[in-house]
Amino acid sequence: MSGFRSMHPSVAVVYYAGLLLFTLLLFHPVFLLTEIAALLGLMLLQGQGRRIAGSLAFCLIVAVPAALLNPLFSHRGAVILFYFMDQPITLEAVLYGLMMMVVLISVFVIFLSYNYTVTPDKFMYLFASTAPKSALITLMTLRFVPLFQRRLRRIALIQGARGVSVREGSLRSRMSDGMTLLKTLLTWSLEEALQTADSMKARGYGIRRRTSYAVYRLDRRDIRVLAGLGAGALGTLWGWFQGYGMLMLYPRLKPPVFTWQEAAMYAAFCLFAALPLWVEGKEKWLWRSSARKSLPSAIQGKKGLHWTGYRSQ
Amino acid sequence: MGDGSGAIYYRGAELPLLPPETAAGEIGMVFQNPEAQIVMETVWQELAFSMENLGLSPSVMRGRLAEMAGLFGLEPLLYKPVHELSGGQKQLVNLASVLLLHPRLLLLDEPTSQLDPVAAREFIYLLRRLNEELSMTVIISEHRLEEALPLADRVLVMENGRMAADGSPREIVRAAGSRLGEGHYAYLPAASRLFLALSASPAAAPTDTIPLTVREGKRWLESAVEEAQSASPVSAERSIPSAGPLEKNAAGPARIDLTRLGGSGKGNTLEGARLWENGGVGSSFSRSGSGAFAGEAQSSGTGETLLECREVTFRYEKDGPEILKKLDFSLYRGELTAILGGNGAGKSTLLQLMAGLLKPQRGRVALPKGVTAGYLAQNPLLYFSHDTVSEELRHMAKYAGLSDSEGKREIASLADAFGLEGVLGSHPHDISGGEQQKTALAMVLLLRPDILLLDEPTKGLDPAAKEHLAELLTALAVAGKSVTFVTHDVEFAARYASRCAMLFDGSMAAEGTPEAFFGANYFYTTAVNRMVRDRLPQALTVEDVMADWQRFVSRS
Repeated sequence: MSGFRSMHPSVAVVYYAGLLLFTLLLFHPVFLLTEIAALLGLMLLQGQGRRIAGSLAFCLIVAVPAALLNPLFSHRGAVILFYFMDQPITLEAVLYGLMMMVVLISVFVIFLSYNYTVTPDKFMYLFASTAPKSALITLMTLRFVPLFQRRLRRIALIQGARGVSVREGSLRSRMSDGMTLLKTLLTWSLEEALQTADSMKARGYGIRRRTSYAVYRLDRRDIRVLAGLGAGALGTLWGWFQGYGMLMLYPRLKPPVFTWQEAAMYAAFCLFAALPLWVEGKEKWLWRSSARKSLPSAIQGKKGLHWTGYRSQ
Repeated sequence: MGDGSGAIYYRGAELPLLPPETAAGEIGMVFQNPEAQIVMETVWQELAFSMENLGLSPSVMRGRLAEMAGLFGLEPLLYKPVHELSGGQKQLVNLASVLLLHPRLLLLDEPTSQLDPVAAREFIYLLRRLNEELSMTVIISEHRLEEALPLADRVLVMENGRMAADGSPREIVRAAGSRLGEGHYAYLPAASRLFLALSASPAAAPTDTIPLTVREGKRWLESAVEEAQSASPVSAERSIPSAGPLEKNAAGPARIDLTRLGGSGKGNTLEGARLWENGGVGSSFSRSGSGAFAGEAQSSGTGETLLECREVTFRYEKDGPEILKKLDFSLYRGELTAILGGNGAGKSTLLQLMAGLLKPQRGRVALPKGVTAGYLAQNPLLYFSHDTVSEELRHMAKYAGLSDSEGKREIASLADAFGLEGVLGSHPHDISGGEQQKTALAMVLLLRPDILLLDEPTKGLDPAAKEHLAELLTALAVAGKSVTFVTHDVEFAARYASRCAMLFDGSMAAEGTPEAFFGANYFYTTAVNRMVRDRLPQALTVEDVMADWQRFVSRS
């Protein structure tokens, strides 16, 4: 793991939690589009282009209807564009629908990126010290989801040979076949769970308060990035309290005016949203050419490597 | 669960009175199924699990983990998801997780029964190292003893809940030769079995001459040959009755030879000769009736092709590696084919392709019209979805399109042949592993496939169950089916298969009768063959050697 993924889990959780918060607080296309662009850029740098393409369809299926349906059901607003089946379609409602679409897309992209960066074990690691048992149980449960999927695939392959299949037959027989498959999965898994319980007991589960093995260390880079994220978040929140970053659509569209305060808030937001992109991009830049003779280093003062431009001290 | 009386003491303290910390920390246990013991998602979590339970501090955990990962070579696997590991690696992780608590006593319940031979050997030798370098007490229950027995200091034989024997490995071998009886032969290493079969008086031999390993076996064999030659005519005669203890077992090789002949008809002159020698004994194989059996063997002598793989190429994912590459392979009627190969060579994939469960990207798996294939997966639990064994069988019969009375008859005859009458009313999960496998096999057979494909059928079976399985498979092959199994078990393949094939790098690297196939191999062959190959390159089993003992003695 490299780049943003290699950072301490708390950095990533702060980042995604902050983005989610701002998505819900800030109702402004510029901010949201910046956010989406930053996340997509991050994922592309992480080599996740295929993942984005794969989930794009699903995302649009959910988001586009929101944009289309809002003007049909909401008729608030002052500027009427045209009438559709005797219903007034207002500019405000159209824009509001579009904004909803952007919000949905950005939430979707946040989770897409979150899933790649914050694996369940990282998330649990953060909570292991406060609630060790619940963290363990959650982790074990999370493990069962892909485990059961793998087992179900194997069962379906075998049971298909005896005519139990959810792919063919009437709806009723499919459903009963599905139940048969689930039953096989459950009996098998419970059988294994008995052995798992034995093995847990033999390894001393439940005799003392659990400690947590730490694989992650909060290093200086993590602290610097956290500080940067914190500054960005504070700046953005300050702007929000001042009432910036909100696009007024209802009851009537107010033409957006950019003041210097709002520009400062936007800069803070950009710092917050784009910091991981910078972390990731810097590492990509270090490795950009495979023909390089010396090993790349980000540490300042080494001859010939000034162009890496690392100047945070 | 269950009733018990008596007490077990650990270092002077009764076991139930032991503080839980001591019990968990000082007594480590590894179980049979590598998968079911695993609790966490990734390797490091799994390793840390036991230490976290005991509340060790992070710095202590880090130190211990570093040490153990070094000892086991687990560093490259540390961040891998557990399900991506092989069975052997999983079992290593289980062992390491237990060892991280620094136990004084290590209990292992058939830890290698689910592993392939290479991984099993590594695992056993690791235990040996722990025992020698840390002086850790290791207690292991096992029925595959080729590697484990020579390493043991003390062997206990259990029978029907009682201690049948207790002693050093060599004493146990001698006891098996005299007191314990032949039932225990199958558990012994090949060298010891050969010794018991050929030695004039196993009970009288000095304990330290009893061979346990291939090296010792070869040495003993040389001295035995010398002895036999120096005492020339008299001892040559004497050596015939000396083969006595296994004479009754000689039905084994006889029936294999017969099926070999009934197979592809590739039997060479040596086999023909042996068939003659053992002809009388062969008729003692009566399960399917020797008369019908002989007729079948003649009628299918040509070996009609039942399935043909033509340049089969397969991969699981678009960008994945090619598992099979232009593989050509055929199955014939009446044959018992063994497919061998390393881990991840694609053996299971090939079986699933032949069973029609997967489709090749290129090439063709061709079956003549009306020929069907049945597939038995490694894990019989995948087949069970009803509450009793008989219900499972009834549903299967119904799916196979048998009428009620027909189904009943068929189920009764299968239950009889497989020895399942006693468990028909039990839940499929409550019966033993061997019975589960036989139940699943019976279910597959209800579909009346012409080709039977089995994935690692001997995994986890004890020698008696293996023997029974071999009888069933042989009878099926004799009845005109084509039986193919994938296995790591070289001894089993050598003993019972009529044809062996080696899958390597996506295609068949070698193929032939067991004699030709294993005789050509240097390492990948039976322990007996490795011992006697200088004199009898074609002999694979103890019975083969016994049959040729005379020539063996006279040749050199």
